[in-house]
Amino acid sequence: MRHQIKSDDARAPEMAEAIEKCVHCGFCLAACPTYKLLGEEMDSPRGRIYLMKGVLEERIEAEEAQPFIDRCLGCMACVPACPSGVAYGDLLVSYRTLQEQSRHRPLVDGVARRLIIETLPYPQRFRLAMKGGKIGRMLQPFLPEAFASMLNMLPDKLPPPAPLPPMLPAHGERRGAVALLSGCVQQALAPQINQAAAEVLSANGLDVHIPAGQTCCGSILLHIGAEAEARQIARRNFPLLPDDIDAIITTAAGCGSGIKDYPLLFKGQTDLHTASAFSGKVMDFSAYLAQLGLRAPKGFAVERAVAYQDACHLLHAQGLQNEPRDLLNQVPNLRLVDIPDAGMCCGSAGTYNLDQPAIAEALGKQKVNAILAAGPDTVVSGNIGCITQLRKHLDLQRKNLPVLHIAELLRAAYQD
Amino acid sequence: MNRSFFEALQKIYPDNRLLTRDVELLPYESDALTAFQTKPGAVALPVSEDEIIDTVRLCHRMKVPFVARGSGTSLSGGSLPIADGLMIGLNRLNHIKKIDPEQRIAVVEPGVVNLHITEAVRQYGLYYAPDPSSQSVCTIGGNIAFNSGGAHCLKYGMTSNHVLGMKVVLADGTVTQFGSESIEGVGIGPDLVGLFVGSEGLFGIALEITLRLMPAPQLYRTVMAAYDNLGRAGDTVSMVVASGLLPGAMEIMDRLAIKAAEASVGAGYPLDAEALLIVELEGEALQVEAEFAELRGVIEESGAFEIHEANSEDERARIWKGRKGAFSAVGRLSPDYIVQDGVVPRSRLGEALVKIGEFKAKYQLDVANVFHAGDGNLHPLILYNGREPGALEKAEALAGEILAMCVDLGGSITGEHGIGMEKREYLPTMFSPVELEIMQDLRRAIDPEEIANRGKMFPGGEAPALQMHGMHPLERQGVISRE
Amino acid sequence: MTGGMLNSVAELQAFVNDHERTHVVGRRSKTALHQVDPDTMLADMSGMRGITEYQPQEYTLTVRAGTRVSEIQAELRKEGQYLPFDPLLPNHASIGGTVACNLSGSRRHRYGGIRDFILGAQVVDGLGRAFRVGGKVVKNAAGFDLSKFLVGSMGKYAIMTDLTFKVFPDAPDYQGLRLQYETLDDALNAVFHCNRSAHELDVLDFAPCDRGWSLLAGLAGFQDTLPQRAKQFVATMRAESALLDATEAEDNASLRDPLGGLTDDFLAKVVISPRQIPSFDARVHEMQRRYSAGGNIAWLATHDIDALKKILEAEHLPGMVLRGAIDRPLIGKNIESPLAARVKRVLDPHNKLL
Repeated sequence: MRHQIKSDDARAPEMAEAIEKCVHCGFCLAACPTYKLLGEEMDSPRGRIYLMKGVLEERIEAEEAQPFIDRCLGCMACVPACPSGVAYGDLLVSYRTLQEQSRHRPLVDGVARRLIIETLPYPQRFRLAMKGGKIGRMLQPFLPEAFASMLNMLPDKLPPPAPLPPMLPAHGERRGAVALLSGCVQQALAPQINQAAAEVLSANGLDVHIPAGQTCCGSILLHIGAEAEARQIARRNFPLLPDDIDAIITTAAGCGSGIKDYPLLFKGQTDLHTASAFSGKVMDFSAYLAQLGLRAPKGFAVERAVAYQDACHLLHAQGLQNEPRDLLNQVPNLRLVDIPDAGMCCGSAGTYNLDQPAIAEALGKQKVNAILAAGPDTVVSGNIGCITQLRKHLDLQRKNLPVLHIAELLRAAYQD
Repeated sequence: MNRSFFEALQKIYPDNRLLTRDVELLPYESDALTAFQTKPGAVALPVSEDEIIDTVRLCHRMKVPFVARGSGTSLSGGSLPIADGLMIGLNRLNHIKKIDPEQRIAVVEPGVVNLHITEAVRQYGLYYAPDPSSQSVCTIGGNIAFNSGGAHCLKYGMTSNHVLGMKVVLADGTVTQFGSESIEGVGIGPDLVGLFVGSEGLFGIALEITLRLMPAPQLYRTVMAAYDNLGRAGDTVSMVVASGLLPGAMEIMDRLAIKAAEASVGAGYPLDAEALLIVELEGEALQVEAEFAELRGVIEESGAFEIHEANSEDERARIWKGRKGAFSAVGRLSPDYIVQDGVVPRSRLGEALVKIGEFKAKYQLDVANVFHAGDGNLHPLILYNGREPGALEKAEALAGEILAMCVDLGGSITGEHGIGMEKREYLPTMFSPVELEIMQDLRRAIDPEEIANRGKMFPGGEAPALQMHGMHPLERQGVISRE
Repeated sequence: MTGGMLNSVAELQAFVNDHERTHVVGRRSKTALHQVDPDTMLADMSGMRGITEYQPQEYTLTVRAGTRVSEIQAELRKEGQYLPFDPLLPNHASIGGTVACNLSGSRRHRYGGIRDFILGAQVVDGLGRAFRVGGKVVKNAAGFDLSKFLVGSMGKYAIMTDLTFKVFPDAPDYQGLRLQYETLDDALNAVFHCNRSAHELDVLDFAPCDRGWSLLAGLAGFQDTLPQRAKQFVATMRAESALLDATEAEDNASLRDPLGGLTDDFLAKVVISPRQIPSFDARVHEMQRRYSAGGNIAWLATHDIDALKKILEAEHLPGMVLRGAIDRPLIGKNIESPLAARVKRVLDPHNKLL
């Protein structure tokens, strides 16, 4: 599309390029969860690009456009759907960051946002905040919607802190060494995931390094446009990870795709090189195992019908469709069942659950219904956000189906 | 927008389905032809047939022009809004009301996405045949307005050939039904379905459509052949035709289009080819295998330097994904382009391509070529950079030369995208003054206020034409009639 | 009734301009259609004959309206091509009349009817204006498609003087099959099964016979695959329907002729859908009949046209009488339409064309 975007911001050329590539063909509409749900052009990728263009060209006020941009899940389903190759993710992150700098949020949203920035990336603080959460829940009826939904997300009780060992040695013949990222909120909510991942990696002949003192990778902050804070926190991890490893493994989809964007996040920074090197080594748990070749698991005594739920940040952002399925297909007595419309977001999407509760709710319900239609006895995903969202919506429908991280299921497949 | 009109609209629509703020209207100002932009006065999002009927009647009564829009994928600007007019977004009327696999029919609302029909009937071994490249997003309502085609219409025709019956609201608010569930459609009496389909939204809005479904072919055999010049690919098409085969699709892409599509999809297109021919046979397995043996013989003799057969459904899907995304993929090569849509007699394809080559040199612009070779439907994509002053005008001039050439060679200025905004000025090159007058009269007989998609198809400005022909004013008002 | 033999577009224009009431006739193969008032002039098109343009490579054919259909078919056959809509009365009818009355034979089942193969036409309207509608290439989306509108329009809106069609290569060989069923329901179920299967049938008709119901199926293709395809088809039908027995058709031409055996005074075409057949057939079981194109067209012959009229009205089905003395050939469900009325106002405001 033609545009009249001025190039006075450092980010402008990238944004202009993405907008220029968009030919407004509409192929993205079919892939977009919010368009499917709301059926309005403003809530489609093409519409959002047009709105961002309108803001950058100063045809409309940023404040006006913001609700529609905020409604974007960032699920990236539009990216593989786009024939023209619009880098929608880069555009969105750049735009959000630009707007964040000048944005006046309503007080409560601002407080919630500050709370996210201050707590979610830090497992320890998050644990502390959880206690506040319990108190908060009593006050819930008096709080605005954004707070209320956030409190709903919190589990009644956090699992006890389960520190991971700094190093888990390879089982059997050694095939390499990896580091495991363990600094994020997942560690507080579901420590068993990284534990399981470490054990599976080790069972596959890998030395697994899990350096203490890791923090969040910054992706969740990037998602809400808090770029400086994201960089600040990401940097703390760089010196912690050993050099002599084959890969840095993440078990959270959003982290994997967020870290892949480091070269953009650190553009113009002195430590761009370090950040890029770090980014280049990061691989998702299932992608790495699929590439390495899975050691034959024992499998299950009784057949399990497993539905694999695609996390957007694995499927769309990292193109991982076959890898996790290939791993699961190698487990004896495991039968994969297909979820209809598998590429559709479950509505978890990072902090989306907190920002856009109504849409998150609708998408969660839709996804759970699709899963139930497929008739599995176990649901597996590669992302904590999806797992939490699915758990919540399965509970709402009083369905007892276990929802596991793929690492947990694989560990079980080695144990049985 | 007129205040009393707006208040009347508010009686039909709740606030959340009547968009009026600038920020809500802006994303509706273009369809897939971004060279034109007009912000509508308001966007209404009906969810029922009755709301559409009420809206059209209101527009007629208050003489407010309207444009119906599905997914906004028109390449001719067919769903461009009218300034201060109403845009009626039909995408929420997206229900498939009935599927009868045994009679091979489906009854759908206008906002149903083309591909969703095939997805819904696949379990019965059926599919909906017309496959415009945008089939994953474009709606049946839009397909009807523009009689959309696709890669596979040589054998089974365009949208019009797959509509059996419809219920419509004419632009003056008259609701009428024609056709049937029979494969014969209208069958007795003038074929009103055939008249309505392709009327570019000028007659009214389709409310309910009965579609013909086809049995999904037992077998597809798809072959790609690479050539070191375009002419040879074109000649091969003639050879295939001469052999008596009737392929489901024959497509040609040139070097630039191959490059863009390959970057987009990774379909395995040979990047060193000047032209790529895709031929697909479909049907009963035994028959297709026998035909394919014959086709292979023809292609082997055709001077292709590389021949590749799709060996799996996955591979076939990728070949088509690359082809169908080719227009949009050109966005990777150039910030702006014009997609042209002309038809020449198949035997004159070679001549047409040489001419396009000359135009390229004359205007110093790149042109990528993608075409439905089986039916002579050319889609030259004229690449330009809109930020360079005068570039758009130059590209438009080149596009005009291509259209003039299509008419000269005995073809058409549009095979499937329609006239829309883009080609209105070229309509007189295809039709005589009498023919144009008759079409205008017909439009006015159906839409006396000229409110339905005003400004499209016919040359000239936005205002309703003032001239009067033939009819008595009382006839025009429907007070008297002669039949 | 008087009229004139017209030999050119100009003559036809003058004819329409000179007379108050004009009724067009071709080769008068459909006798029921020409019962007009004595003051109506007959415009006889049978003199406007011949193929004006045939390009086998383009799959296009342009022909004058008065040309006898069988002459066109003979020319096409030389190039291995055919009119896939399968004109109904090839040895008697003109192509203009075939289009104006929308009469397709049994082979239309494979690729479609006349509306699916007409590309354009040259016409003269009620104001004596001569102009073209549609195009001459196989694909065209410019302007309103009046050429399709004229299919079935019975000469009441404009008179076609030449017509352009899309033609297809014909298959080299043919295999007709006669499948025997006990009841209509059995035959209809067999049709439904065919509709959901991937068998590509050229013909799919059914009609009552002395042993119950015959399903007439045709397969077109290459000689070396036809026997195998026919075998597969019969095997599926044996498995999926209450098939009594199946035999190869002794004569493909008669298998493909839907009117064979319909000898009673009045002959009518009825547009129907397969699901409407059981209740309809129960009422017409004493008439000669055949259901064509998978049960989407009914051909009926009867001596009692009033009975048929009443049945069609009760069943809400439109019919057209082709043979027999009758004032109004259109019977059954009323097909008048506000949209058609508006086209009439534009093309023939003085109601000259009858």
